Amino acid sequence: MSALLLDEVSVRWGDVVVLRDVTCALDARTIAVIGENGSGKSTFARIVGGLTPATRGTVRVLGLDPARDAARLRRRVAMVFSNPDAQIIMPTVAEDVAFSLRSDKLPREEKRRRVRAALERFGLDGIADRSAHDLSGGQKQLLALCGAFVREPDLVIADEPTAYLDARNARRVTGHLLGKGSHRLLLVTHDLDLAKRCDQVVFIQDGTIAAIGDPAPVVAAYEAHLAC
Amino acid sequence: MLSLYRAGYSPWHRLAAGPKALLLIVIVLGVSLLPVSWPGPAVAAAIAVGCYAVPGIGLRELRRQLVAVRWAIGVTAAGQLVFLGPGPAAANTTRVGAALVISALLALTTPVGALLDALERGLKPLDHLGVDRQRVALLLIVTITMLPVLARLAHDVREAQRARGAPPGLRHFAMPFLVVALKHADALGDALTARGVR
Ligand SMILES: Nc1ncnc2c1ncn2[C@@H]1O[C@H](COP(=O)(O)OP(=O)(O)OP(=O)(O)O)[C@@H](O)[C@H]1O
Ligand SMILES: [Mg+2]
Repeated sequence: MSALLLDEVSVRWGDVVVLRDVTCALDARTIAVIGENGSGKSTFARIVGGLTPATRGTVRVLGLDPARDAARLRRRVAMVFSNPDAQIIMPTVAEDVAFSLRSDKLPREEKRRRVRAALERFGLDGIADRSAHDLSGGQKQLLALCGAFVREPDLVIADEPTAYLDARNARRVTGHLLGKGSHRLLLVTHDLDLAKRCDQVVFIQDGTIAAIGDPAPVVAAYEAHLAC
Repeated sequence: MLSLYRAGYSPWHRLAAGPKALLLIVIVLGVSLLPVSWPGPAVAAAIAVGCYAVPGIGLRELRRQLVAVRWAIGVTAAGQLVFLGPGPAAANTTRVGAALVISALLALTTPVGALLDALERGLKPLDHLGVDRQRVALLLIVTITMLPVLARLAHDVREAQRARGAPPGLRHFAMPFLVVALKHADALGDALTARGVR
Protein backbone atom coordinates (compact mmCIF):
# COMPACT_ATOMS: atom_id res chain seq x y z
CA MET A 1 0.00 0.00 0.00
CA SER A 2 1.22 3.50 -0.77
CA ALA A 3 2.31 5.70 2.09
CA LEU A 4 -0.25 8.38 1.20
CA LEU A 5 -3.42 7.26 -0.45
CA LEU A 6 -6.39 9.47 -1.31
CA ASP A 7 -9.33 8.02 -3.15
CA GLU A 8 -12.06 10.33 -4.48
CA VAL A 9 -11.53 12.71 -1.56
CA SER A 10 -13.66 15.85 -1.39
CA VAL A 11 -13.71 18.58 1.21
CA ARG A 12 -16.36 21.25 1.34
CA TRP A 13 -16.98 24.15 3.68
CA GLY A 14 -20.66 24.85 3.43
CA ASP A 15 -21.33 25.31 -0.25
CA VAL A 16 -17.70 25.82 -1.21
CA VAL A 17 -15.90 22.77 -2.52
CA VAL A 18 -12.27 23.12 -1.51
CA LEU A 19 -11.01 19.75 -2.72
CA ARG A 20 -12.86 17.91 -5.47
CA ASP A 21 -12.52 14.15 -6.02
CA VAL A 22 -8.82 14.04 -5.35
CA THR A 23 -7.31 10.66 -6.06
CA CYS A 24 -3.62 9.95 -5.72
CA ALA A 25 -1.11 7.44 -4.38
CA LEU A 26 2.15 8.95 -3.22
CA ASP A 27 5.24 6.96 -2.33
CA ALA A 28 8.24 9.23 -2.69
CA ARG A 29 10.12 10.03 0.51
CA THR A 30 9.89 13.79 0.00
CA ILE A 31 6.82 15.28 -1.66
CA ALA A 32 6.20 18.95 -2.43
CA VAL A 33 2.73 20.45 -2.86
CA ILE A 34 2.53 23.58 -5.02
CA GLY A 35 -0.26 25.74 -6.39
CA GLU A 36 -1.78 29.19 -6.26
CA ASN A 37 -3.12 30.91 -3.13
CA GLY A 38 -6.42 29.36 -2.17
CA SER A 39 -6.01 26.34 -4.46
CA GLY A 40 -6.36 23.88 -1.59
CA LYS A 41 -2.79 23.00 -0.63
CA SER A 42 -3.21 23.55 3.10
CA THR A 43 -6.46 21.64 3.06
CA PHE A 44 -4.68 18.76 1.32
CA ALA A 45 -1.95 18.81 3.99
CA ARG A 46 -4.51 18.98 6.82
CA ILE A 47 -6.40 16.00 5.38
CA VAL A 48 -3.20 13.97 5.36
CA GLY A 49 -2.34 15.16 8.89
CA GLY A 50 -5.80 14.30 10.15
CA LEU A 51 -6.65 17.86 11.22
CA THR A 52 -9.46 18.21 8.69
CA PRO A 53 -11.79 15.32 7.99
CA ALA A 54 -12.64 14.50 4.40
CA THR A 55 -16.26 15.22 3.56
CA ARG A 56 -16.20 12.28 1.18
CA GLY A 57 -13.74 9.64 0.05
CA THR A 58 -11.06 7.44 1.55
CA VAL A 59 -7.78 8.56 3.10
CA ARG A 60 -4.92 6.29 4.19
CA VAL A 61 -1.77 7.70 5.73
CA LEU A 62 0.96 5.18 6.47
CA GLY A 63 -1.78 2.59 6.23
CA LEU A 64 -3.92 4.37 8.86
CA ASP A 65 -7.33 5.95 8.52
CA PRO A 66 -7.06 9.43 10.09
CA ALA A 67 -10.72 9.35 11.08
CA ARG A 68 -10.48 6.03 12.95
CA ASP A 69 -6.85 5.71 14.04
CA ALA A 70 -6.35 9.34 15.09
CA ALA A 71 -4.29 8.52 18.16
CA ARG A 72 -1.96 6.17 16.29
CA LEU A 73 -1.62 8.63 13.43
CA ARG A 74 -0.66 11.38 15.90
CA ARG A 75 2.17 9.26 17.20
CA ARG A 76 3.67 8.81 13.73
CA VAL A 77 2.91 12.10 12.01
CA ALA A 78 4.23 15.52 13.04
CA MET A 79 3.16 18.88 11.61
CA VAL A 80 4.86 22.23 11.28
CA PHE A 81 2.97 25.40 10.31
CA SER A 82 4.02 28.82 9.01
CA ASN A 83 3.29 31.03 11.97
CA PRO A 84 6.07 30.49 14.49
CA ASP A 85 4.11 32.19 17.30
CA ALA A 86 1.10 29.92 17.14
CA GLN A 87 3.17 26.77 17.65
CA ILE A 88 4.68 27.60 21.01
CA ILE A 89 2.82 26.02 23.88
CA MET A 90 5.12 26.10 26.88
CA PRO A 91 7.01 29.15 28.17
CA THR A 92 10.61 28.01 27.84
CA VAL A 93 12.42 26.41 24.91
CA ALA A 94 13.27 23.11 26.62
CA GLU A 95 9.81 22.77 28.13
CA ASP A 96 8.17 23.39 24.81
CA VAL A 97 10.18 20.59 23.21
CA ALA A 98 9.46 18.30 26.16
CA PHE A 99 5.75 19.03 25.75
CA SER A 100 5.76 16.98 22.54
CA LEU A 101 6.60 13.88 24.57
CA ARG A 102 4.10 14.47 27.39
CA SER A 103 1.55 11.92 26.32
CA ASP A 104 4.17 9.34 25.26
CA LYS A 105 4.70 6.49 27.66
CA LEU A 106 8.46 6.73 27.78
CA PRO A 107 10.64 6.58 30.89
CA ARG A 108 11.42 10.05 32.22
CA GLU A 109 15.15 9.61 31.64
CA GLU A 110 14.57 8.61 28.01
CA LYS A 111 12.38 11.68 27.48
CA ARG A 112 15.06 13.90 28.93
CA ARG A 113 17.70 12.30 26.72
CA ARG A 114 15.58 12.78 23.61
CA VAL A 115 14.84 16.41 24.41
CA ARG A 116 18.52 17.13 24.97
CA ALA A 117 19.51 15.41 21.72
CA ALA A 118 16.83 17.28 19.75
CA LEU A 119 17.84 20.65 21.22
CA GLU A 120 21.43 19.96 20.18
CA ARG A 121 20.43 18.85 16.71
CA PHE A 122 18.56 22.10 16.10
CA GLY A 123 21.19 24.27 17.72
CA LEU A 124 18.90 25.30 20.57
CA ASP A 125 20.86 23.78 23.44
CA GLY A 126 22.43 27.14 24.27
CA ILE A 127 19.03 28.77 24.79
CA ALA A 128 17.20 25.86 26.40
CA ASP A 129 15.99 27.91 29.38
CA ARG A 130 15.13 31.08 27.48
CA SER A 131 11.56 32.29 27.16
CA ALA A 132 10.24 30.75 23.94
CA HIS A 133 8.06 33.74 23.11
CA ASP A 134 11.05 36.08 23.17
CA LEU A 135 13.00 34.22 20.47
CA SER A 136 13.38 35.54 16.94
CA GLY A 137 11.05 34.22 14.27
CA GLY A 138 13.78 31.98 12.88
CA GLN A 139 14.61 30.55 16.28
CA LYS A 140 10.92 29.98 16.97
CA GLN A 141 10.53 28.03 13.76
CA LEU A 142 13.59 25.92 14.59
CA LEU A 143 11.92 25.31 17.95
CA ALA A 144 8.74 24.22 16.17
CA LEU A 145 10.79 21.80 14.06
CA CYS A 146 12.55 20.56 17.16
CA GLY A 147 9.18 19.94 18.83
CA ALA A 148 8.10 17.98 15.76
CA PHE A 149 11.26 15.91 15.31
CA VAL A 150 11.69 15.04 18.98
CA ARG A 151 8.77 12.65 18.52
CA GLU A 152 10.78 10.80 15.86
CA PRO A 153 7.89 10.89 13.39
CA ASP A 154 7.67 8.72 10.30
CA LEU A 155 6.05 11.56 8.36
CA VAL A 156 6.56 15.30 8.75
CA ILE A 157 3.98 17.61 7.22
CA ALA A 158 5.17 21.19 6.81
CA ASP A 159 2.84 23.92 5.54
CA GLU A 160 4.95 26.81 4.23
CA PRO A 161 7.39 26.48 7.11
CA THR A 162 9.66 29.22 5.76
CA ALA A 163 6.99 31.81 4.96
CA TYR A 164 8.08 34.20 7.73
CA LEU A 165 11.82 33.57 7.65
CA ASP A 166 14.84 35.33 6.19
CA ALA A 167 16.97 33.49 3.64
CA ARG A 168 19.46 32.07 6.12
CA ASN A 169 16.85 30.75 8.54
CA ALA A 170 14.80 29.43 5.64
CA ARG A 171 17.88 27.48 4.51
CA ARG A 172 18.37 26.09 8.00
CA VAL A 173 14.75 24.97 8.25
CA THR A 174 14.67 23.35 4.81
CA GLY A 175 18.04 21.77 5.54
CA HIS A 176 16.49 19.95 8.49
CA LEU A 177 13.34 19.04 6.60
CA LEU A 178 15.06 17.73 3.48
CA GLY A 179 18.19 16.51 5.20
CA LYS A 180 19.22 13.02 6.07
CA GLY A 181 16.82 11.02 8.13
CA SER A 182 14.32 8.26 7.88
CA HIS A 183 11.27 10.53 7.95
CA ARG A 184 9.03 11.14 4.99
CA LEU A 185 8.15 14.73 4.16
CA LEU A 186 5.05 16.43 2.77
CA LEU A 187 6.01 20.03 2.12
CA VAL A 188 3.58 22.74 1.04
CA THR A 189 5.58 25.57 -0.49
CA HIS A 190 5.53 28.54 -2.84
CA ASP A 191 9.30 28.23 -3.26
CA LEU A 192 9.64 26.41 -6.57
CA ASP A 193 13.39 25.82 -6.21
CA LEU A 194 12.62 24.07 -2.98
CA ALA A 195 9.88 22.01 -4.63
CA LYS A 196 12.40 20.88 -7.25
CA ARG A 197 14.59 19.46 -4.50
CA CYS A 198 11.84 17.04 -3.47
CA ASP A 199 11.44 13.60 -5.02
CA GLN A 200 7.89 14.16 -6.21
CA VAL A 201 5.67 17.21 -6.76
CA VAL A 202 1.90 17.61 -6.60
CA PHE A 203 0.42 20.63 -8.37
CA ILE A 204 -3.01 21.54 -7.05
CA GLN A 205 -5.30 23.86 -8.98
CA ASP A 206 -8.85 24.81 -7.92
CA GLY A 207 -9.12 21.90 -5.53
CA THR A 208 -8.03 19.22 -7.96
CA ILE A 209 -4.68 17.71 -8.85
CA ALA A 210 -3.50 19.37 -12.05
CA ALA A 211 -0.24 17.48 -12.31
CA ILE A 212 1.75 15.01 -10.30
CA GLY A 213 5.15 13.39 -10.80
CA ASP A 214 8.81 14.27 -11.19
CA PRO A 215 9.68 17.78 -9.99
CA ALA A 216 10.98 19.30 -13.22
CA PRO A 217 7.96 18.75 -15.49
CA VAL A 218 5.38 19.46 -12.78
CA VAL A 219 7.04 22.70 -11.70
CA ALA A 220 7.31 23.66 -15.38
CA ALA A 221 3.58 23.03 -15.83
CA TYR A 222 2.83 25.26 -12.83
CA GLU A 223 5.14 28.02 -14.13
CA ALA A 224 3.42 27.85 -17.51
CA HIS A 225 0.07 28.17 -15.75
CA LEU A 226 1.28 31.20 -13.77
CA ALA A 227 2.57 32.86 -16.95
CA CYS A 228 -0.82 32.98 -18.62
CA MET B 1 2.40 40.79 35.94
CA LEU B 2 3.64 37.34 35.08
CA SER B 3 6.87 36.18 36.56
CA LEU B 4 8.53 33.53 34.49
CA TYR B 5 10.48 30.57 35.79
CA ARG B 6 14.12 31.24 36.50
CA ALA B 7 16.46 28.33 36.99
CA GLY B 8 18.19 28.33 40.37
CA TYR B 9 19.10 26.43 43.50
CA SER B 10 17.20 28.21 46.23
CA PRO B 11 15.26 26.28 48.88
CA TRP B 12 12.11 27.25 46.98
CA HIS B 13 13.51 25.68 43.81
CA ARG B 14 14.27 22.47 45.67
CA LEU B 15 10.77 22.05 47.06
CA ALA B 16 8.51 19.82 44.98
CA ALA B 17 5.83 21.71 43.07
CA GLY B 18 2.81 20.30 44.91
CA PRO B 19 3.96 20.88 48.52
CA LYS B 20 5.39 24.25 47.50
CA ALA B 21 2.06 25.35 46.05
CA LEU B 22 0.28 24.26 49.24
CA LEU B 23 2.82 25.99 51.47
CA LEU B 24 2.57 29.21 49.47
CA ILE B 25 -1.22 29.10 49.56
CA VAL B 26 -1.07 28.76 53.33
CA ILE B 27 1.37 31.69 53.62
CA VAL B 28 -0.68 33.87 51.28
CA LEU B 29 -3.87 33.04 53.18
CA GLY B 30 -2.09 33.83 56.45
CA VAL B 31 -0.92 37.16 55.10
CA SER B 32 -4.39 38.09 53.88
CA LEU B 33 -5.92 37.19 57.24
CA LEU B 34 -3.53 39.40 59.21
CA PRO B 35 -5.27 42.27 60.99
CA VAL B 36 -5.39 45.62 59.20
CA SER B 37 -4.28 47.36 62.34
CA TRP B 38 -0.63 47.72 63.28
CA PRO B 39 1.46 45.57 63.29
CA GLY B 40 -0.45 43.45 60.73
CA PRO B 41 0.91 45.13 57.59
CA ALA B 42 4.43 45.19 58.96
CA VAL B 43 4.24 41.46 59.62
CA ALA B 44 2.92 40.91 56.07
CA ALA B 45 5.82 42.86 54.61
CA ALA B 46 8.28 41.03 56.85
CA ILE B 47 6.94 37.66 55.71
CA ALA B 48 7.31 38.68 52.05
CA VAL B 49 10.87 39.85 52.67
CA GLY B 50 11.55 36.65 54.58
CA CYS B 51 10.32 34.50 51.70
CA TYR B 52 12.70 36.21 49.28
CA ALA B 53 15.65 36.60 51.63
CA VAL B 54 16.88 33.07 51.09
CA PRO B 55 20.08 32.01 49.36
CA GLY B 56 19.56 31.85 45.60
CA ILE B 57 16.74 34.41 45.33
CA GLY B 58 17.44 37.60 47.27
CA LEU B 59 15.91 41.01 47.72
CA ARG B 60 16.89 42.16 44.24
CA GLU B 61 14.41 39.61 42.91
CA LEU B 62 11.80 40.94 45.34
CA ARG B 63 12.30 44.38 43.87
CA ARG B 64 11.90 42.99 40.34
CA GLN B 65 8.64 41.31 41.33
CA LEU B 66 7.36 44.47 43.01
CA VAL B 67 8.07 46.39 39.83
CA ALA B 68 6.26 43.69 37.85
CA VAL B 69 3.08 44.02 39.96
CA ARG B 70 3.26 47.81 40.32
CA TRP B 71 0.04 48.32 38.37
CA ALA B 72 -1.93 45.93 40.51
CA ILE B 73 -0.53 47.62 43.61
CA GLY B 74 -1.26 51.06 42.19
CA VAL B 75 -4.85 50.20 41.32
CA THR B 76 -5.43 48.67 44.76
CA ALA B 77 -3.92 51.69 46.48
CA ALA B 78 -6.03 54.14 44.45
CA GLY B 79 -9.26 52.24 45.07
CA GLN B 80 -8.66 51.91 48.80
CA LEU B 81 -7.56 55.50 49.10
CA VAL B 82 -10.86 56.68 47.66
CA PHE B 83 -13.03 54.50 49.85
CA LEU B 84 -11.07 54.00 53.06
CA GLY B 85 -8.65 56.88 53.46
CA PRO B 86 -4.84 56.87 53.67
CA GLY B 87 -4.21 54.75 56.78
CA PRO B 88 -6.22 51.63 55.90
CA ALA B 89 -5.27 52.05 52.23
CA ALA B 90 -1.57 51.81 53.04
CA ALA B 91 -2.18 48.82 55.29
CA ASN B 92 -4.34 46.94 52.79
CA THR B 93 -2.07 47.71 49.86
CA THR B 94 0.89 46.36 51.79
CA ARG B 95 -0.97 43.12 52.46
CA VAL B 96 -2.10 42.75 48.84
CA GLY B 97 1.40 43.52 47.57
CA ALA B 98 2.90 40.99 49.97
CA ALA B 99 0.40 38.33 48.90
CA LEU B 100 1.13 39.00 45.21
CA VAL B 101 4.90 38.76 45.45
CA ILE B 102 4.70 35.68 47.67
CA SER B 103 2.43 33.87 45.22
CA ALA B 104 4.80 34.88 42.40
CA LEU B 105 7.41 32.62 44.01
CA LEU B 106 5.57 29.58 42.69
CA ALA B 107 5.93 30.48 39.01
CA LEU B 108 9.36 31.95 39.62
CA THR B 109 10.87 28.80 41.10
CA THR B 110 8.89 26.01 39.41
CA PRO B 111 9.27 24.93 35.78
CA VAL B 112 5.90 24.96 34.05
CA GLY B 113 6.21 21.27 33.22
CA ALA B 114 6.43 20.49 36.95
CA LEU B 115 3.54 22.87 37.65
CA LEU B 116 1.47 21.09 35.05
CA ASP B 117 2.22 17.69 36.61
CA ALA B 118 1.44 18.96 40.11
CA LEU B 119 -1.76 20.56 38.91
CA GLU B 120 -2.84 17.34 37.25
CA ARG B 121 -2.22 15.43 40.48
CA GLY B 122 -3.87 18.13 42.58
CA LEU B 123 -7.01 18.04 40.46
CA LYS B 124 -7.42 14.31 41.03
CA PRO B 125 -10.54 14.77 43.25
CA LEU B 126 -12.25 16.19 40.17
CA ASP B 127 -12.19 12.74 38.57
CA HIS B 128 -15.35 11.88 40.51
CA LEU B 129 -17.13 14.73 38.79
CA GLY B 130 -16.16 13.41 35.39
CA VAL B 131 -13.77 16.30 34.78
CA ASP B 132 -10.85 15.59 32.47
CA ARG B 133 -8.12 17.02 34.69
CA GLN B 134 -5.40 16.69 32.04
CA ARG B 135 -7.42 19.06 29.91
CA VAL B 136 -8.12 21.44 32.76
CA ALA B 137 -4.45 21.63 33.73
CA LEU B 138 -3.43 22.11 30.13
CA LEU B 139 -6.05 24.78 29.60
CA LEU B 140 -4.73 26.74 32.57
CA ILE B 141 -1.13 26.48 31.44
CA VAL B 142 -1.92 27.40 27.84
CA THR B 143 -3.92 30.39 29.03
CA ILE B 144 -0.99 31.58 31.09
CA THR B 145 1.51 31.18 28.27
CA MET B 146 -0.87 32.83 25.81
CA LEU B 147 -1.05 36.07 27.79
CA PRO B 148 2.18 37.55 26.43
CA VAL B 149 1.08 36.62 22.91
CA LEU B 150 -2.30 38.30 23.40
CA ALA B 151 -0.51 41.39 24.65
CA ARG B 152 1.57 41.45 21.49
CA LEU B 153 -1.45 40.84 19.25
CA ALA B 154 -3.22 43.75 20.95
CA HIS B 155 -0.19 45.91 20.30
CA ASP B 156 -0.10 44.84 16.63
CA VAL B 157 -3.78 45.63 16.17
CA ARG B 158 -3.31 49.10 17.63
CA GLU B 159 -0.28 49.70 15.42
CA ALA B 160 -2.14 48.62 12.32
CA GLN B 161 -5.01 50.93 13.18
CA ARG B 162 -2.72 53.84 13.88
CA ALA B 163 -0.98 53.23 10.56
CA ARG B 164 -4.35 53.61 8.87
CA GLY B 165 -5.31 56.65 10.91
CA ALA B 166 -8.08 55.06 12.93
CA PRO B 167 -8.92 56.95 16.10
CA PRO B 168 -8.05 55.24 19.37
CA GLY B 169 -10.94 53.72 21.26
CA LEU B 170 -12.29 50.45 22.46
CA ARG B 171 -14.99 50.25 19.83
CA HIS B 172 -12.53 50.19 16.93
CA PHE B 173 -10.14 47.96 18.80
CA ALA B 174 -12.32 45.19 20.24
CA MET B 175 -13.54 43.59 17.02
CA PRO B 176 -10.24 43.24 15.14
CA PHE B 177 -8.51 42.14 18.33
CA LEU B 178 -11.13 39.48 18.94
CA VAL B 179 -10.69 38.22 15.40
CA VAL B 180 -6.90 37.91 15.58
CA ALA B 181 -7.08 36.43 19.07
CA LEU B 182 -9.55 33.77 17.93
CA LYS B 183 -7.47 33.04 14.84
CA HIS B 184 -4.47 32.60 17.07
CA ALA B 185 -6.41 30.29 19.39
CA ASP B 186 -7.50 28.28 16.36
CA ALA B 187 -3.91 27.90 15.12
CA LEU B 188 -2.76 27.00 18.61
CA GLY B 189 -5.45 24.34 18.76
CA ASP B 190 -4.05 22.82 15.57
CA ALA B 191 -0.55 22.88 17.04
CA LEU B 192 -1.81 21.14 20.18
CA THR B 193 -3.58 18.46 18.16
CA ALA B 194 -0.53 17.96 15.96
CA ARG B 195 1.61 17.49 19.05
CA GLY B 196 -0.51 14.66 20.33
CA VAL B 197 -3.03 16.41 22.62
CA ARG B 198 -6.38 14.80 22.03
N1 LIG C 1 -12.13 26.47 7.74
C1 LIG C 1 -12.51 26.94 6.54
N2 LIG C 1 -13.74 27.46 6.38
C2 LIG C 1 -14.13 27.94 5.18
N3 LIG C 1 -13.36 27.96 4.09
C3 LIG C 1 -12.12 27.48 4.20
C4 LIG C 1 -11.62 26.94 5.42
N4 LIG C 1 -10.35 26.53 5.23
C5 LIG C 1 -10.07 26.81 3.95
N5 LIG C 1 -11.11 27.37 3.32
C6 LIG C 1 -11.15 27.80 1.91
O1 LIG C 1 -10.63 26.76 1.13
C7 LIG C 1 -9.88 27.26 0.04
C8 LIG C 1 -8.54 26.61 0.01
O2 LIG C 1 -7.84 26.97 1.17
P1 LIG C 1 -6.37 26.45 1.48
O3 LIG C 1 -5.98 27.08 2.76
O4 LIG C 1 -6.33 24.99 1.40
O5 LIG C 1 -5.52 27.08 0.29
P2 LIG C 1 -3.96 27.13 0.06
O6 LIG C 1 -3.66 26.50 -1.24
O7 LIG C 1 -3.26 26.59 1.24
O8 LIG C 1 -3.71 28.68 -0.05
P3 LIG C 1 -2.44 29.55 0.41
O9 LIG C 1 -1.38 29.37 -0.64
O10 LIG C 1 -2.96 30.94 0.38
O11 LIG C 1 -2.04 29.09 1.76
C9 LIG C 1 -9.84 28.76 0.22
O12 LIG C 1 -10.76 29.33 -0.67
C10 LIG C 1 -10.26 28.98 1.63
O13 LIG C 1 -10.95 30.19 1.75
MG1 LIG D 1 -2.07 27.44 2.75
